[in-house]
Order: sequence, then C-alpha cells, then structure tokens
Amino acid sequence: MRIEYNFAFFDEGSKREIRRATLKAVAIPGYQVPFASREMPIARGWGTGGLQLTLSLVGKEDILKVIDQGSDESVNAVNIKKLIIKTTGIKVTDETSEATIIQSRHRIPEIPLQAGQILVLQVPLPEPLRYYEPSELETKKLHAEQEYSGAWLMLFEQIMNYGTMSTGADHPAMVHDRYVMAPSPIPRFDNPKLNHSQALILLGAGREKKVYAVPPYTRVESLAFEDFSFEVESFQDKCCGLCGAKGVFLDEILDDLTGETFHQCNDTSYCLQRLNQKSAG
Amino acid sequence: MKLDLVHDLQEVYRKTLDSMSRPGLICNIQDQANKVAKEISNFNSAVLALILMLFDTEVKFKVCSKHEAEIVELINQLTYAKVTEIESADFILILGDADPEEIKQVFNATCPGNLRDPHKAATIIIEADSVSNDRDLTLIGPGIEKESYILVKTSHSWVDLRADKNSEYPLGIDLIFTDGNANILCLPRTTQIVQEVAG
Repeated sequence: MRIEYNFAFFDEGSKREIRRATLKAVAIPGYQVPFASREMPIARGWGTGGLQLTLSLVGKEDILKVIDQGSDESVNAVNIKKLIIKTTGIKVTDETSEATIIQSRHRIPEIPLQAGQILVLQVPLPEPLRYYEPSELETKKLHAEQEYSGAWLMLFEQIMNYGTMSTGADHPAMVHDRYVMAPSPIPRFDNPKLNHSQALILLGAGREKKVYAVPPYTRVESLAFEDFSFEVESFQDKCCGLCGAKGVFLDEILDDLTGETFHQCNDTSYCLQRLNQKSAG
Repeated sequence: MKLDLVHDLQEVYRKTLDSMSRPGLICNIQDQANKVAKEISNFNSAVLALILMLFDTEVKFKVCSKHEAEIVELINQLTYAKVTEIESADFILILGDADPEEIKQVFNATCPGNLRDPHKAATIIIEADSVSNDRDLTLIGPGIEKESYILVKTSHSWVDLRADKNSEYPLGIDLIFTDGNANILCLPRTTQIVQEVAG
C-alpha cells in the first residue's frame, strides 16, 4: 500500500504548532520553548527535533543539505534526507553555499553561513543545567532567576580536576547576556561561529520537546573565566591528509595496518570541494 | 487562484520568520494576501493570511476593532480559534479602526509571560497605515547587524506603550505589523527602539 503523505510529512496543524513555538524562540534567544514533538518515523533522540523544524520550514523552492558529524553521507543524514525528499520532492545538495536549509548533527559547516540560510541543529540534551539538576521544574526556575552558578561551578571543577575545561563538545554559552544555552554537541571549535552569525540558527530537541533559537547578529559567548579563557580545540601544525586544509576541524584517524595516525577534514563536503578545485586548477 | 493552504502559508511563515529574526526587515506577502482577498474581501487580507498561518483550536485571541463581533465570528469559523479576554489571549489583533483607549488597555493588560514561561506572552498583530524603512525609528538588538530604521504609520502611538511593557526582559510582547500593501514588519521583545534626538 502506498500512503500519500501531506507535503513535508506533517499535517498542517502540527506545522502550525511548531511554527508558533519557533517564532517565540526567535523572540527570546537561547530560551527553550516547549513544543508538542510529534511521533516521527525515526526514533526520538535521532534527530527528530531538527527534522521537525526542517519539515515546518521547508517549501518547494528550498535546497536542503543534511550533515551528520560533518558528513553528508552517513546513516543519520542519508535517512533524514530520504524522508524529506520522499515527502517534499525538493532538491538536495552537498554544497554548503548552495543550500537554503542546512540540518546538521553536531557540526557547523566550515564554509561561513550566509544571510539567506537557516541552520537547523539536532539537539539530544537541550538543558545545559541538567548535568547537576535532574528536575525540569528546578532548571526552569534556575533559568527564570538567571541562576547559573552551577554551570560555572561545573567548569571550575573541571579546571580543578583536569587543569582544563574538559567539555569536549556542548560547551555552554551565554546568549544575548541572558540565557545559558546548550549549543548542541558541536565541538568547542564551532562555538565562536554561533556568535554574530549571519544566518538564523534553530535548535530542536525532539525527545526533550524543546526548540530554541539564535537569531542572526546575536551575542553568543562561551562560558569562561576572567583568568581562564575559553579555548577551541587546537590542531596546531596538523593539516588534512587529503586536501591539506589547515585551521579547520580535523578528525584523527588510526591506520590499522601501520599503526600511524593521520588527520582528515571532518567536514567532508568542504574537503571534497577543495580536492575538486585542486584537480580542476 | 485559490489560496494553497500548504504552500502559500509556508511562504507566509518563512517571510514572517525572516522578519522576526531580522527586526526591521520588511517582507511582502502580497501574492498570498491577494489569493485570500479573492475568497474573503471585507477584511485586511494580509492579516487574514497571518491568521490562517498561525491560528487553530489551540489559540486564544482577541480582536480590537469597531467590527469586532463580525471579525471574531469569521476567524472562529475559519480556524476554530477561541475568542477570549485581553489578559489571556495568545494573539491580539489591533485593526486600523480600533479605539485608542482600547489599544492602551491592550498594551497594559496583555500577558507578558512569566519568568518561568516567557514564551506564554502574547503576540500583537497591528494593522498599520503603512510600514517602510524610512528613517524615523532606529532599532538595535539581536537580528540587527548595526542598526535598522523603520517608519510605521498608525493612527495611534505605540512606542512608549511597548517600551513600558517590555521593560523587564525576558518578559514582554512581540509585535507584527502589516499594512495595506501586505508588508510585514516584526518587533520581537529583544528589539530596542532608540529615539533619535532631533538636530
């Protein structure tokens, strides 16, 4: 049996509900707006928040890019792309600059985002205070009172224990000098890209039923101390083994046979684009 | 052509979202509004397009207009949204013929959310005579690179009323202006209006 789904899978009522929540999220940068979070044909916690945002946004003229940890071709990205193509028939692309909607899991692309684009981030844990406060009621109160000493203390303890802030990803950030936000598990390397971004950034957590947003040109400051500044991952003298790129986020890969490690661009479409340019020129 | 409830309203949404995330950016929904106007002609069609995009059974609204009763009935028939009082409305429509006293009352009494749930604040949709980017009010805040300029012509004043209501961020109300040419301009609560000093 072939089911004829509505355009963009959702019924219009579900889209309306997400749209109302999104408009409020944009009006209160960094604040987590609860939304209904419908059942999706993929499991909760696998990008349903981002997917629902994308489906509420998408129109016939949009060009979509979906990435999963920097890759256009890994399972999560491919399946989300398939679902959206099947229910909308829109064009998809790998090229960051060509896309109008970019849904991403755990990365912000290397190529700077532009004004016409919307970045949708999939968020597993939207609550930056959950690590030390299990109750939703309490964390809501802490946000209401702008009581973020726990978040600072968490970083302080990391510095005391390990001599560095050990947040590998998801380093909390202060948005518009009011709300502390979980930037989704993007590496610290990507945190500065949130600040004063040209594109609208929407974050969706399907399992936790929250959407939040960072409008363009909004101040997003990664939490740090006066005498212990925020630092991104350093790749110093390392470069991509394929395209030679420096100053980008690199994956460390172990060669099983030789036991050597080498580095490669995490953003695969960026790497591919550079390789194509090299071979063309 | 008939209004396409899927694609036309998607476009209205994207333009509203664009305006909301870039305060001062004026988007136009004339195409969609024209299609609405062919079906329902006795009402501002841009406002109606916004209503169709946002309203359903879960929404409570209030209308400020001389023709309140008719408009409420129309909106209720089209969307099943429920009419309510100013204090509990999610959306408030201030139409061009609204009474200035009532407008004051709306800004005073409308819900600005609370600290735990600032998203429960009302959104006010205001029918203006015209909106443009002429240099009258200067806007700063999230979504604006340096500053942007707007000129909103209305029969009533709203700048001070809005400033009073939005003095305690994150509490506050979000405004959407439309005019006869189906332009949309949004002022979320984060946007600050800087009054230019003459001379």
